[in-house]
Amino acid sequence: MKLRKVILVLNNIPLTPLRKKQKRGGEKLHIPDGFLSWTWPIYYVIMFVALYFSLKWARKNLDEKLIPLIAVLSAGIFAIMSMNMPIPFGTSGHMLGGALVAIVFLAPEAAVLVLFIVLLVQALFFGDGGITALGANVVNMGLIGGAVAYFSFRGLEKFTGKYPAAAIAAWLSLFIAAEVVAVEMWLAGTFPLDIGLASMGIYHAFIGVIEAILTVVVLIALDKLRPDLLAWNRGKTSGGQKLEESEEVAAK
Amino acid sequence: MNGVGSVRELERETEKESILHLMDGRVKLILLIFIIVYAVFSTQIVVLAFLELYLLILIYISQVSFKSSFKRILLLLPFGGFIIAFQPFIHPGDVIWTGIFGLQVTQQGLMWAVLLMSRLIVALTSIVLLSSISPMQEVAQSFRKLGMPRELAMIFSLMIRFLFMFYDELHRIMHAQKARCFDAFNKKIPYKWRMKQLGYTVAMMFLRAYEQGETIYMSMVSRGFSDQSNFYQDRKKKLGKTEYAYIGVTVLLVVCLQVLAMTHFYELGVLGMNII
Repeated sequence: MKLRKVILVLNNIPLTPLRKKQKRGGEKLHIPDGFLSWTWPIYYVIMFVALYFSLKWARKNLDEKLIPLIAVLSAGIFAIMSMNMPIPFGTSGHMLGGALVAIVFLAPEAAVLVLFIVLLVQALFFGDGGITALGANVVNMGLIGGAVAYFSFRGLEKFTGKYPAAAIAAWLSLFIAAEVVAVEMWLAGTFPLDIGLASMGIYHAFIGVIEAILTVVVLIALDKLRPDLLAWNRGKTSGGQKLEESEEVAAK
Repeated sequence: MNGVGSVRELERETEKESILHLMDGRVKLILLIFIIVYAVFSTQIVVLAFLELYLLILIYISQVSFKSSFKRILLLLPFGGFIIAFQPFIHPGDVIWTGIFGLQVTQQGLMWAVLLMSRLIVALTSIVLLSSISPMQEVAQSFRKLGMPRELAMIFSLMIRFLFMFYDELHRIMHAQKARCFDAFNKKIPYKWRMKQLGYTVAMMFLRAYEQGETIYMSMVSRGFSDQSNFYQDRKKKLGKTEYAYIGVTVLLVVCLQVLAMTHFYELGVLGMNII
């Protein structure tokens, strides 16, 4: 009798709201405060070096449109990151956007700039990722994510074509960033390397599917609607050309 | 993550007028980051307990709602909780419990988990307090005054201005989808089609962000903006008595805690033990 009651109760538990409340994938990449022990200043140094070169790149390659553009894009990426999306096997995740920014601008520096601003706001106002862990988070998602996306896209596009290359690059950027988080946790003595690499790897291999599909869909849409925004339509560097030249490309 | 509701709620909290709200933005920012950094380096639970108590007193003084603060901290805890939950089982040390499948809980692992959780709670309380007493724009200005490069500070400040607009934009799109019975989690709809719709939503957001950026740039240029421009800043405000008192009390507390940590806290047993 008791068993029947238990089965009845279990059958009546609504599963959908529970699923909706599940944690989203990308958030496991946001390292909180206290998890990196003494190692966090090292990542700050790397982040500052990356930011220095990113700003240098921005001043050299982008026109004065950079500031409002990067700012508004960061706000857009921030909003996009809040969208919860379904992933096969019942879990859910959200897009990070680092790979998308790196491929659109064809520069990992752009990903570093945008992700720095996004992660700073998340850490300071929403507690998503720690203040002391900001350096590591920017290094993982902006620098490593952006660089992996850019270089794998560049390497693969000749063999596979642009969109398959972008999909693989986006998936790889998330997967490798997740594995780097596992290594950082191990270096700090917070998590064993083998379990960390396996759990982060398997989980983000699925989450990466979202990143890959959405990056490609967004790139296709941009190529159709505003081809001038894509750096691959504008020559070697994204911002090297002025607005008038971009409009000429768009007109074509 | 953060819905538009929480963004708005946060800004409403910052509009209150307590002693802490009225303080200089730089002081609030630096001191709360100082507390987080000290907490991250602390290896004794009792030190973290005192820091948390101090933060709770600050929340009381700032008239920020305890209920909403606790709610926010509780919502953020699971992000680190996943890693903390594993700690008692993976740290080598003295076994205090053996369960099924040979799972063992060690004393060192358990203490490490408690330490990590305590650090996380102190850091999250600091962030909740900072974001409840400082409007986003004030924090951006404080960063600029503290020497953040001009370009980065401008990007930061502009990004905050447009954050609210994009949340509204995203909500409008999502409402329109909901009104047409679109549910991204409905398994009766083919996965490929759902992803396509979500992809177009993201592309739309990206495009609107980009085009908005261009429009903003044009309107800024027409009002005299150039790559040499700088944002208007308040004249350097001198720190008042309340700011000095706040700095004094916080620094004194940290110094006292550190002295006690080195001399007396070990007498408290588990709470004062150095966990490394």
